[in-house]
Amino acid sequence: MWLPILGLLFGAIIGSTISFQIPVIYVKYMSVAVLASLDSVFGGVKAVLEDKFDSTILLTGFFTNTLLAALLAYLGDRLGVDLHMAAVFAFGVRLFQNLADIRHHLLGKTLKNYDAHKRIS
Amino acid sequence: MERKSWQIPVTIVLIFVGILLTLQFQSQTRVLTDLSTQKTEHLITMVRNLSDKRTSLMEELATLENTLQELKVSGATDANIIENLNADLKRLSIVNGEKEVSGPGLTVTFSEYDPILYTDLVLLINELWAAGAEAIAINETRVNFNTVIFYGEVNNSMYITANHIPLSFPITIKAIGNPNTLDKGLTLPGGIIDNLALFQAFPEIEQQEELVLPAVEKKVPFYNARDVEKN
Repeated sequence: MWLPILGLLFGAIIGSTISFQIPVIYVKYMSVAVLASLDSVFGGVKAVLEDKFDSTILLTGFFTNTLLAALLAYLGDRLGVDLHMAAVFAFGVRLFQNLADIRHHLLGKTLKNYDAHKRIS
Repeated sequence: MERKSWQIPVTIVLIFVGILLTLQFQSQTRVLTDLSTQKTEHLITMVRNLSDKRTSLMEELATLENTLQELKVSGATDANIIENLNADLKRLSIVNGEKEVSGPGLTVTFSEYDPILYTDLVLLINELWAAGAEAIAINETRVNFNTVIFYGEVNNSMYITANHIPLSFPITIKAIGNPNTLDKGLTLPGGIIDNLALFQAFPEIEQQEELVLPAVEKKVPFYNARDVEKN
């Protein structure tokens, strides 16, 4: 349980120590990439809770989603289509969906009574 | 064993998420604090606050200088007074350009291919004074309180004059002051160098460690001006 959280902290430390700065024009694409990566992570957590976890799916999904989101946003800007917005919308909806599922599972796990109670009533 | 099978991939992914998040945080704060992305109203308030602060600081400076002067006068022996007067005289002769001065500064050089008018030189010199220049000279003419920058014409070709002396290219403007501040004063976005570039004039700006500015050619006599306090 603690290993992933340590990983997040470790990543945050690396991110704040390296002096690499993203050029301001790419910040917009980067934001979409971050959103996509968050979506993948929550998707992964959800899969773990549902006992459907597959490491290959998570890893490939994470990298391809992140890169594709940034690339599509960039391409959209080149073509004059706001694919940026589409990506924000799609990943945003999925993110909240995943979060809701995670919440349901956690609730079901920790409050079994609550679950049982719900079924009776 | 089954626990580890999901922990490691999730950890790897979270490390990357951590890196991405912090990088994005940093760049987003950079974007938000960048002046060019601020709202106009905010910028106006910022400018107002800063100029208010400047006025109050200038007032403070004036009062402090007054007290300094008073203290100097009150605690002065004869030798002290003479010393102070000499120091004042030195300062004033620098201000009036009666003496050669040297110090770090900036040179701005216009070549003969730069299409400039005399007003450009006036603007440039105003800008240099505003940026904190302490002494300025154009070619070998020291700029003081009665320097005239104008133009003359010979055979339909125009030339710029300083104190009625024609300036020959390259025209070099030397200014003594903090080289960095002077440079920034000229090259700030939308500043005079940007404006000159619109007219295809690209002066060469160089920061100098040591510059020597000539004295004015002749002192200005005073026939009519008198000190108000003594009347």
